[in-house]
Amino acid sequence: MESVSGEAGNFQVEVVNHPRYIDPDKCTGCGVCKQHCPVDAIDEFNQGLCRRTATYIQYAQAVPLSYTIDRDACIGCGLCEKVCLAQAPLYDDHENRQTVEVGAIVLALGNEVFRPDELAAYNYDTHPNVVTSLEFERILSASGPYQGHLLRPYDLQEPKKIAWIQCVGSRDVHHCSNSYCSAVCCMYAIKEAVIAKSHSHSGLDTAIFYMDMRTMGKDFERYYRRARDEYGVRFVRCRVHSIEPVDDGNLSISYLAEDGGIEEETFDMVVLSVGFQTSKKVRELAGKLQIELGPHDFARTSSLAPVTTSRPGVFVCGAFQGPKDIPQSVMEASAAASAVGTVLSEVRGTMTKSREVPQPRDISGEPPRVGVFVCHCGINIGGIVDVPAVRDYARSLPYVEYVADNLYTCSQDTQLLIKEAIEKHRLNRVVVAACTPRTHEPLFQETLIDAGLNKYLFEMANIRNQDSWVHDDPEEATEKAKDLVRMAVAKAALLEPLRDSEIEVKEGALVIGGGIAGMSAALSLADSGYHVDLIEKEGELGGNARKLHLTWKGENVREILEKMIRDVENNPSITVHLNTELKNVDGFMGNFTSVIENDGKEETIEHGVAVVATGAGELKPDEYMYGKDSRVLTHLELDQKFLQDDPELEKINCAVFIQCVGSRESERPYCSRVCCTHSVQSALEIKKRNPDASVFILYRDMRTYGEREDLYHEARAAGVIFIRYDVENKPTVSVKNGKLQVEVIDHVLGKPVMLEPDLLTLATAIVSPGDEKLAQFFKVALNEDGFFVEAHAKLRPVDFATDGVYLCGLAHYPKSIDESIAQGQAAAARAMTLLARKKVEVSGMVATVNPFLCSSCGVCVAVCPFNAPSFNDRGVSEINPALCKGCGLCVASCRSGAISLKGFDEPQIFAMIESL
Amino acid sequence: MKEYIPKIREIARKLLEEEKVDAVLGFRKGTIPMMNEPFMARSASDVDLLYWDSNCGINLANYLHKRKEKIAVVAKGCDTRNIVNHIVENQVKRDQLYIIGIPCRGMIDRRQILAMFEGREIEEVDEDAENVIIKGDGLSETIPRVEVLQENCSICIHHNPVIYDEMVDEPVEEPDHVDRYDDIKAIEEMDPEERYQYFRDIFSPCIRCYACRNSCPLCYCPTCFVDESRPQWVGKSIDITDVMTFHFLRAFHCAGRCTDCGSCERACPVGIPMRLLTKKLEKDIRELYGYEAGMSLDERPPLDTYRPDDPEFFIK
Amino acid sequence: MKDWEPKIVAFLCNWCSYGAADLAGVSRFQYPPYIRVIRIPCTGRLNPKFVLAAFRHGADGVWISGCHPGDCHYLEGNYYARRRFALLKSLLEYMGIEPERIHFSWVSSAEAGKFVEVVSEVTETVKKVGPLKYFMKKRPEVE
Repeated sequence: MESVSGEAGNFQVEVVNHPRYIDPDKCTGCGVCKQHCPVDAIDEFNQGLCRRTATYIQYAQAVPLSYTIDRDACIGCGLCEKVCLAQAPLYDDHENRQTVEVGAIVLALGNEVFRPDELAAYNYDTHPNVVTSLEFERILSASGPYQGHLLRPYDLQEPKKIAWIQCVGSRDVHHCSNSYCSAVCCMYAIKEAVIAKSHSHSGLDTAIFYMDMRTMGKDFERYYRRARDEYGVRFVRCRVHSIEPVDDGNLSISYLAEDGGIEEETFDMVVLSVGFQTSKKVRELAGKLQIELGPHDFARTSSLAPVTTSRPGVFVCGAFQGPKDIPQSVMEASAAASAVGTVLSEVRGTMTKSREVPQPRDISGEPPRVGVFVCHCGINIGGIVDVPAVRDYARSLPYVEYVADNLYTCSQDTQLLIKEAIEKHRLNRVVVAACTPRTHEPLFQETLIDAGLNKYLFEMANIRNQDSWVHDDPEEATEKAKDLVRMAVAKAALLEPLRDSEIEVKEGALVIGGGIAGMSAALSLADSGYHVDLIEKEGELGGNARKLHLTWKGENVREILEKMIRDVENNPSITVHLNTELKNVDGFMGNFTSVIENDGKEETIEHGVAVVATGAGELKPDEYMYGKDSRVLTHLELDQKFLQDDPELEKINCAVFIQCVGSRESERPYCSRVCCTHSVQSALEIKKRNPDASVFILYRDMRTYGEREDLYHEARAAGVIFIRYDVENKPTVSVKNGKLQVEVIDHVLGKPVMLEPDLLTLATAIVSPGDEKLAQFFKVALNEDGFFVEAHAKLRPVDFATDGVYLCGLAHYPKSIDESIAQGQAAAARAMTLLARKKVEVSGMVATVNPFLCSSCGVCVAVCPFNAPSFNDRGVSEINPALCKGCGLCVASCRSGAISLKGFDEPQIFAMIESL
Repeated sequence: MKEYIPKIREIARKLLEEEKVDAVLGFRKGTIPMMNEPFMARSASDVDLLYWDSNCGINLANYLHKRKEKIAVVAKGCDTRNIVNHIVENQVKRDQLYIIGIPCRGMIDRRQILAMFEGREIEEVDEDAENVIIKGDGLSETIPRVEVLQENCSICIHHNPVIYDEMVDEPVEEPDHVDRYDDIKAIEEMDPEERYQYFRDIFSPCIRCYACRNSCPLCYCPTCFVDESRPQWVGKSIDITDVMTFHFLRAFHCAGRCTDCGSCERACPVGIPMRLLTKKLEKDIRELYGYEAGMSLDERPPLDTYRPDDPEFFIK
Repeated sequence: MKDWEPKIVAFLCNWCSYGAADLAGVSRFQYPPYIRVIRIPCTGRLNPKFVLAAFRHGADGVWISGCHPGDCHYLEGNYYARRRFALLKSLLEYMGIEPERIHFSWVSSAEAGKFVEVVSEVTETVKKVGPLKYFMKKRPEVE
């Protein structure tokens, strides 16, 4: 991106396409150029741990799967042009500038990792066995420099002992200026240690050297415990002083242990858990875009609008917004999409074009007439497999009416040939023997559609990726190709035309829960033009936020809340139902009918999607004298005092906070994520009111992740005292002579310390009621902690496995206000992907039940991850095609043979087996 | 176990008279010794035909699926486990059943007794708590019942009903140290060739009459896989591969559902010990997933569920 | 006369192991040419009948491969499949199929290397145990 002019709704963006030197439209990704390229260059993708050629593709899963030439490394020998039968190389390719007109911009610029070159004491740039965590990721990867074998760079031997050093380039103002926490390194270090152990052949010893273990994400604490207790990963709380080479490529770590003593331990390899930082390039780009950056060079946003930059119409998501992990990044990506949708809602759909396709021919009653097209793929197939022989063999197979071989079956002109052949020979099934269906099936299916054939009358034989490329014996490869073609033809003869069905999507959305997250989702949906019914079981909107004082960024929660409530109430597209509960839900994706009840009156709501934002609550503990002494409060109770500006607060001489009350214990083995920051902030507020007050925070690990670390710094600078305790040695609270006494074992001294606070605040867990009823209404799952389970922890953090239902806020997991708002926006965006379509196309490759064969045993209903099967009123199973994903699990589970899976049906698979 | 008869009749009479049920499913005495037959008492006048002794091996759960009426059923341990299975698999509803629980001391093996007295006509078989008394044709023999129990009963560990509305008597003691899998382990010890030959010999007499399937309460599919025609992938012949394929898949379909009630072997006209397959799966499932069939209304059979940490030692 | 070569049917899930097979191709890894792949959407789709049918129709070995636990494209298919496979393998072996003939693996779409290792191992073990002796279909003998 070179420059941006204009304004929200009407930007002109000048972009530069850098030359690739290989035409991506012509490149088939075959890789012959790479095989012939004589150049030896550094493989940046593998972090320089191995080499690549000058014609290359960054990694095998890259999209598009087309090669490029690294002209800095290229010697200009011209070999690639000579060997490429597809004539894809373009040596005179040049930079291409263009201006694109857009209404909004999303910045997903990411971060770079900290380069530890400057840290002389760690010997990163002098010793090959000191690697960064990103390098170690590549070492572990199956497509990495060592094909996933656990080896160390120094001698390519398997290490027996590996150390991870945390906070390299994070939480560090001495060696760099990154005072913030990078938020992801603790978790990835644990993951790397666990995976390294599984890759090891000889009982790898792993140790993680850390200051605070920050596993505050959903299910992270459990993973941490498992790593420690089951996998035996060692965790050493300390400060690392230096990493020095010793004999045989080994490294000695010297560190300051918690008790103040200097210790040393030798390892075979050391991984530096490097943090995130905004790169210089990104900073420059931000300058060109004229968006403001915060103190740590992350895009400046507010809690109320967590993906909105300072420039209207420009949005941000991911690590450029602040250090964060995958699920949080994915949420923000959806949130940014939602924000864009809001800006552009008026012009939605105005630039879409629809394609004209011929009416598919009715082939019912016709015997199979199969056309077989065998591809040479240049020399990729033809160089090994005797393609004409395969073609001639195909002619001998039952139902085959037409055969051909093509230099490139995927080329544009061959599509015309296929189309002609279909028409001329009245083919009603097509088999292409070529590369792989995973990349090319859609292309050939398009050709079928253009030729007036149903796209499901197509089958591919994989004779390139799984034959000519992997077998060098021409005779055996040709035999295999014939077998694969025979199997494909056998299946093809039994293929049937399938109809992609359409499902109408009802307009509106139901949002359950009127807290911050629910309101955020409702506003996003409404601002994009969709009607929302927002139900709240209490008499007013706001949920937990009504009891909160400040966001971690220091904004006044009440102001945020009042604005949101005002916006919700004034939005004509939102109908708020207070004192209302959900009584029943029927239907599925796009077609829900729900019954809500308010004051004994029932109302039926039709909606296309639902957002679950039912929240969670604060644990009322039964320890530390809570409820027995009025000086012992929870966080929300203390916030209440701040909100009322209680004059008593100024009189506090000594305040103590106890962290992890009810969290991270056997009963509730999860971290409540927000409490460390909350305590630090409250401690500062007390200090603000009375700078002489003694304030103590008794903690297990301080988890002020991301830029929240600034508050931790600030608190220490303000004189707040942090005392760590172990869960085996929890503080004790008693009252003596009317005085509240807190006793805790100081981790440095190893001796008990007695505190006499006027105020004891308990950072109690966030607990979810575990709404079973709601879970059943929408057929979604709750985890053992009572939080709802998303479809995929990393990649689909706001979706449920059940389509059409989305999740946000504390009902998902404890999180801060800005995170709840982002997740609410994200849930709205995911819901809009359905609402915006008005009709959903459902693949024809779904399972169907023959009611006469169904025994009603219910196995399909039990196993389906998507709740597609259910019993109909005749008591037999019925599969909702809108929910079915076509996996076939129910089909294989059905003892009665009542279910068939279109496209992968029993007769079709048997036909392949029988023609072995 | 004849002492249960008055109580069975009393319960049945009460239920029918008070119209709590439409019918009582139990046994009546058969015309041939050791061949009691299932019987549905529909009115109080039928009640005195209800009978019970150690020849009630047929699994009455097999008569329950897809019934519409409210029904009382006389059920021993294994029957109740199959009833549990039926309820879980939607074949019958719990609230349409009244389960009259029998603390079972095991069924006697008719085939074994006939073999013991081969060629002589048995006219009457009586029993007391310890013995079976065989009479007829100048014959009067007393045999300890433990010696003539059905094999599955002799290794049974769930004699008492796992679900019932009313018991006819106090529960009987259940053994806790039975090794149910002696025979299975012996086969596991063989090498593959031996195992194949062993099973080939076992299954070669099979005439594909499907009596095993028909007597099994688990086999309630409207169309059995052996009758599927599209594709018809297992031949309907007595070719050994077809026979073994049939028995393989029949057992597999019973995996995690079979209660080892022994109906299949009782029904087999040629005496094939097909429980060797179902019991093998029972053993595997117990070892791998800690699951026993038909013990709980709250659990689906083990193939209908999973745990993320299920064993996967056999997967590369 | 060529030596006997095994015939091995591989049921690969579309999303992971089939992808690994494709990637092995892209990476030009070489492996023995005796597997015949049948693509299925998910290992959860694998009906035990398929395996019996494969032997019936002369496969000397069967290999089933899918996504690692937790990575199923359909969320849970491979978890259910894993239980089914455990029992399937056990019962097949119990009835006399040599353990060398039936294989399972988890191979992700990035693990081309593992794919090749497993194909090679499967091929080697099937080769060692020789042609299938039982469980194949006998054509009716006509006098």
